Amino acid sequence: MLMHVVNVNKDVMKANNELAHSNKKLLIKNRVFAMNIMGAIGSGKTTLIEEAINALKDRYRIAVIAGDVVAEMDASRFEKLGVRTVAANTGRECHLDAKLVERSMENIDLEDTDILFIENVGNLICPVDYKLGENVRVVVVSVSEGDDTVLKHPMIFRTSDLAIVNKVDISEAVSADPSKMKADIEKLNPSIPVLLTSRNDRISIDRWIEYIESYLE
Amino acid sequence: MHEYSLACEIFETVIAIADQNKASAVNSITLEIGRLTHVNPDQLLFCLDVLSGDSIAEGAKVNVNFVSPYGECECGYREDTGVPDNACCDDQQSLYEYALMTCPVCGKLLQLVGGNELIIQTIDIDI
Repeated sequence: MLMHVVNVNKDVMKANNELAHSNKKLLIKNRVFAMNIMGAIGSGKTTLIEEAINALKDRYRIAVIAGDVVAEMDASRFEKLGVRTVAANTGRECHLDAKLVERSMENIDLEDTDILFIENVGNLICPVDYKLGENVRVVVVSVSEGDDTVLKHPMIFRTSDLAIVNKVDISEAVSADPSKMKADIEKLNPSIPVLLTSRNDRISIDRWIEYIESYLE
Repeated sequence: MHEYSLACEIFETVIAIADQNKASAVNSITLEIGRLTHVNPDQLLFCLDVLSGDSIAEGAKVNVNFVSPYGECECGYREDTGVPDNACCDDQQSLYEYALMTCPVCGKLLQLVGGNELIIQTIDIDI
């Protein structure tokens, strides 16, 4: 019997990055602006996307990829708003990957789309390692997760382009300090814009929509 | 549980390469894991061990080399931010410590480059 060392040199992560790159090329070719919305379960990702759809759907053609482990609850919320929606069920996975997004995009007419929202699976850890081909990565964290959540999950704030601290209207009830959360985010990523939002504060929601529009002009 | 799916991918690659080389057994697998990847090495090794059962890779030893990111600063500073590569899992710095590393020259937050790998480097087989 012969012992033999085989040089494999395969990067398991790189395979996803290469697929993400081809997704990005496809999005650019079709002039689609894609946002990857990441955040924990219950942080308010779906509501923020709904608000954006309501404000922008008359002027832009919108599609959504709604990532979830099994259910299609979020997808049906978007469908009700009259936008093209694809439910991407990961089965057992804690994140969307480039392959799932590639497959989901096959069910979207990209030529007829200006904005693609990709709602990631509720999680602040796994989505960090998986690029999807998006233009902008948005992390949503709600005050109800505790104001130490930011420092407990540093890499998602380091790798995002926009951070949203959501549900600030209930800060007092959950004993959280949104300004501490904002300061922690800025400590981890000094160049990141941070929005403090609440669905009950129209001005804050308008800022979120203005942020999206700033990419579309 | 993303360690499980990563373990599946590693296992499938290892078995495919072992088959291509007409191997009768896989003795060891050497992995390189970036210190910034959100992979728990213990969970990954456990999943690999379970998956390898009843295959030609059953009982294969898995060696892990950790790769540190480089810290880069706009002032031009560049240095490996790591602890020695032969350190065990328990000696790893937390992601929090990496995320808050500052430039020793000018004090700005360091940009982290690399350290996101999960590489199957080599497999040691019997032919």
